[in-house]
Amino acid sequence: MSGAAVPVGIEVAEHFQDANQQRHAAVFGMWLWLATELLLFSGLFLVAIVVRVMYPDAVTAVALHLKFWIGATNTAVLICSSLTMSAAIELSRLGWRRGMLACMLATASLGTLFLALKGYEYWRDYVEHMTPFFGFRPYVLSGDRATQLLVDDYFIITGLHGLHLTTGVSVLLGLAWIARRPSFLRHHQHRVEVFGLYWHFIDLIWISVFPILYLLNR
Amino acid sequence: MSPSDTALRDPLTPRPTLGRPDDYLHSEHTLRSWLLTHDHKRIGILYLLSITFFFIIGAIAAGLVRLSLIVPNGMIFSNDTYNRLFSIHGIVMVWFFLIPSIPNTFGNFLLPIMIGAKEVAFPRLNLLSWYIFMVASLFTLADVVIGGVDTGWTFYAPFSTTFSSAWVVPALIGVIVVGFSSILTGLNFVVTVHTMRAPGMTWFRMPIFVWTMYATSLIFLLATPVLTITMLLLLMERGFHIGVFNPAIGGDPVLFQHMFWFYSHPAVYIMVLPGMGVISEVVPAFAQRRLFGYRFVAYASIALATVTFLVWGHHMFVNGMSEYASIAFSIMSFVVAVPSAVKVYNWTATMYKGAIKLRTPMIFAMGYVGLFVVGGITGLYLATLGVDEHVHDTYFVVAHFHYIMVGGTSIAFLAGLHYWWPKFTGRMYPEPWGVVAALFIFIGFNATFFPQFILGYLGMPRRYHEYPPEFQILNVLSSVGATILGAGYLFPMIYLVWSLRFGDPAPANPWDAKGLEWTIASPPPEHNFARVPQVDFEPYDYSEREQRT
Ligand SMILES: [Cu+2]
Repeated sequence: MSGAAVPVGIEVAEHFQDANQQRHAAVFGMWLWLATELLLFSGLFLVAIVVRVMYPDAVTAVALHLKFWIGATNTAVLICSSLTMSAAIELSRLGWRRGMLACMLATASLGTLFLALKGYEYWRDYVEHMTPFFGFRPYVLSGDRATQLLVDDYFIITGLHGLHLTTGVSVLLGLAWIARRPSFLRHHQHRVEVFGLYWHFIDLIWISVFPILYLLNR
Repeated sequence: MSPSDTALRDPLTPRPTLGRPDDYLHSEHTLRSWLLTHDHKRIGILYLLSITFFFIIGAIAAGLVRLSLIVPNGMIFSNDTYNRLFSIHGIVMVWFFLIPSIPNTFGNFLLPIMIGAKEVAFPRLNLLSWYIFMVASLFTLADVVIGGVDTGWTFYAPFSTTFSSAWVVPALIGVIVVGFSSILTGLNFVVTVHTMRAPGMTWFRMPIFVWTMYATSLIFLLATPVLTITMLLLLMERGFHIGVFNPAIGGDPVLFQHMFWFYSHPAVYIMVLPGMGVISEVVPAFAQRRLFGYRFVAYASIALATVTFLVWGHHMFVNGMSEYASIAFSIMSFVVAVPSAVKVYNWTATMYKGAIKLRTPMIFAMGYVGLFVVGGITGLYLATLGVDEHVHDTYFVVAHFHYIMVGGTSIAFLAGLHYWWPKFTGRMYPEPWGVVAALFIFIGFNATFFPQFILGYLGMPRRYHEYPPEFQILNVLSSVGATILGAGYLFPMIYLVWSLRFGDPAPANPWDAKGLEWTIASPPPEHNFARVPQVDFEPYDYSEREQRT
């Protein structure tokens, strides 16, 4: 880690009274956005849980076809990424710009690793005929109609989560690009904190997805 | 002048004279200065122009629907055309007029001023919200007019995903995208109310309009994402055959209704609450009395925003839901009427013994209270399980929600538009014409929709354009009423535009009303307040006049 700490702060926009008010507004705004994201996913979780209550056998059949170890590895990968993100936030508060950048890049790499594993998992699903919506391919569980809704739900939840993670990685790389400038922390330190909330949230969604889809009724 | 006025009159703000160079309308004139503005007032005006445009489109479609229903045999339009017409009417009016109507226009313009702030918390996000709205709404409009959609505004599955041959996919994309505009506005308002209030502006000193905007924003934030995911699932099913709702490919059609109405019942309160906010401002101003039971009205707003999430099942009584669920939803639907009734009683009590000035906004407001009561009580009929069996999916339902949406929201919108027109534009509207328009609208509205209660009770189903000949008289009556109503809407469009050039210059406070928006010039200066106001007075501080009588 080279160089001393740089000054940290917020450039106050015209319509705010002071930096505290602006920081509070930014953080609170992100929390509200996360509340909307939670509701976006909750309907899909509800489908999975209702199917589980109504057709437990079908859910067991599906859960046995999901790639438990890939899911478990991915959970670990995302938890590690949250750790590096937290480190980036701490370092940004201290004004250690280079360390912060390194942690941000590590976070983005872990996110990319997750996406790569997820892509491999989708390919395995395809090979194992777990894709009921492809009319041109036989479906391995076609004997049980009730399994189809859960498999569809699985693809939609994980797809939507993957989309959020892709967005997260892109924004993180963009933020790192801007943050390479020495003056960044003096003017916009709160952006790292606000983004950190979003990243932890994506992590949290996956931590709910994993038990609901992979573990229940296994 | 009451003490609060003197305290607030900013010595640095000169008395209003028209055409002052530094008000928000005249500070810059270029088109660019409008399209790239971060000023919440200008964004409010941009929304006002946009939703007026969509209102006209939706109204034309409604006119054509009423035209078709003059004859019982459906000779005027083909089945397909009729289905597309009522879909245009529903989609445009619900998604592009009613939902953004009051929050995005008056809310944007007034909410920061009413709490003593210079701006909303996130001005750029605010402008982005308008652009999202415009792109999504024009895209959808092109789709429903050129391509045609025949699902109505509700997009019921599996019809919309499997059987409809119309252009459903672009309409779904449009509705998904426009939802983000609602979410961003709601987010902005909630953060603004929490973080941007002026010193001394405590929660219980906020005007009720701000309370209702806050409650509406909560619904925007918590309900809209559920709609987004529902529409996304429809899209998946229609576009990629991923079965979610169609039983033939593993889905569940009742699931769609649960998810859709989990958003769309609260959406009713997105449309109703802001209207209640407007009426709560207009009634005290024209009765010159403190709003009766201020705290109850504030709490009732939050109660409505909460309970409204628990009643969606009343749209599904006849689809085979369990009896116990039906009973629970029926009871909750009765409960939701309580806070609404609290408000009606409070407005009435505010008027009692007031020095009522029957100006246009007040006439609209009084019409609102009456029509809202009719709409609300017929809502209780529909919440009753036995009655709903008989009248569900008939014109009774159509009449009921038009009493709420048109008799309520649209009339409240007009009340607010007249009330704040001097503040928005710096000009007075011509009072006699305003009164004429209000009377036309009230009479035309009742003539249009009251016959529909009878039609529905007699069993005429909604969304068909052929009907037994014995229903013709009531249908013709309804269509005649629609003509009067249409004329009533035409008046303000003409005289308000006229007043921009020829109206009398407006003083800062033409109604002798209370509230921070009336302490600054008309139209307001670019940054609202030259100095941050210190709030040391209660809302609706009409005590001076009350002591006089
Ligand atoms: Cu409802």
